[in-house]
Amino acid sequence: MAVEVSITSEIAEKLRALPDSSAVALHLKSDQYFDAIQGMLDRFAMKKDLEVVYVTSTIPSQSIINALEVLEIPMDHIWFVDCVSQIMMSQAKRHPHAIIVESPTMLENIMLKVEFLIRGHPDRNALVVLDSINSLAIHNNTKILSEFLHILVNHLRSRGAYTVIFSMREYETDEIRNMLVLVSDDSIELGK
Amino acid sequence: MPATEHSDDERERCVTGIDAIDHILNGGVPRGNTVLISGSVGTGKTSICIEFLVRGALNGENSLYLSVTEPTDKLLMNVIPFDFFDDKLVRQGKLQFVDLPKIYDKLGIDKEDLDFDQTRLLADTIAGIVEEQKIRRLVLDSVTSVCYRIREQERIRDFLLRLGTVLSAKGCTTLLVSEIRSSEDGYSQWGVEEALADGVIVTGNLERRGDLLRTLQIVKMRGTTHSRAKYVLDLTTSGVLLVPLLKGGSVASGG
Repeated sequence: MAVEVSITSEIAEKLRALPDSSAVALHLKSDQYFDAIQGMLDRFAMKKDLEVVYVTSTIPSQSIINALEVLEIPMDHIWFVDCVSQIMMSQAKRHPHAIIVESPTMLENIMLKVEFLIRGHPDRNALVVLDSINSLAIHNNTKILSEFLHILVNHLRSRGAYTVIFSMREYETDEIRNMLVLVSDDSIELGK
Repeated sequence: MPATEHSDDERERCVTGIDAIDHILNGGVPRGNTVLISGSVGTGKTSICIEFLVRGALNGENSLYLSVTEPTDKLLMNVIPFDFFDDKLVRQGKLQFVDLPKIYDKLGIDKEDLDFDQTRLLADTIAGIVEEQKIRRLVLDSVTSVCYRIREQERIRDFLLRLGTVLSAKGCTTLLVSEIRSSEDGYSQWGVEEALADGVIVTGNLERRGDLLRTLQIVKMRGTTHSRAKYVLDLTTSGVLLVPLLKGGSVASGG
């Protein structure tokens, strides 16, 4: 339990230290996943009054929403762009805060849905979470993924939004690391 | 004097209100241009046109939608419920929807084929409505259906030239919807439409590794410099959104 507290505090503290409009690569291990989400959403985004756009290509949005409910994190300012539920042919009911993108290969549609959600809250600053670069890399080649990140991150920066890109250490390759170095202002290594 | 990208005597713009399109066009459609919006079914032509009119009406410009193929009641039932749409615009007459078949009836045009005089009468009637109602934005959806009734290329040319000249002189910016098949070369059914239009905006579907993306490309626009790149389009309740089409070496064909 002590480890959980330290991960949630660590990520919140490190994100708070960043200047506005930062793009950051968050390197973490699989067993730190839900603690990282809790720290980022509950301890960072809520305290800073940010509208959160959470792009998930790793697990369905409903799984994350269930976890947030258990952690009693309010969903009022959290929105999902879900790129996995459709390809899994999931029959689960869709949460009103979740927008479906048909496939993680439709990278332009991910950008469009992020833009749509940000436009819906023009008076609030945003935190955009990409979960994760590794799962997007399963479905897309490095060239198109680099282009996607480059355009998205620069667009979000121009809008004053924070970007956090998850990278799971177990699945990192040199190509992924290079891509993240290119687009991020900073990098956070959780638990190091 | 060194050449600059934007000269001082640049033409007045009709700011469409669709941010991405205004950005691509460096500020909007040059005022008074007649623009062909061309694409196959389900590519977003009508939604773009309606947003163009609603944004104009919100900005105080009288806007008119002339529907040829679909009764406006049915059209409005199926249109995207834009967040920014305000019923007041219709009640105040700022935004008008008219079925062209009703105009045919009023003019006594009952034959399928329009002869030379009827073609001129139709162009003059539309121009008359624009003048009388002080219309600044007009959509004709679709010009293809009107041309089907005119049939002959010479008469189509005369109709479009007459209409375009009068509307431009009145400062009315016009979108003409052109229906094409996805397999077709060119941007219009008769070929005349694209040659006479001041601008051509093409909407389409691009299949990439089994995904179907809606695209938009501005291939021609007189009176302004503009991007000719292909963009991916989304039709949302907050309006038409565009992002650049990613190349990334994964596009199998030019689409």
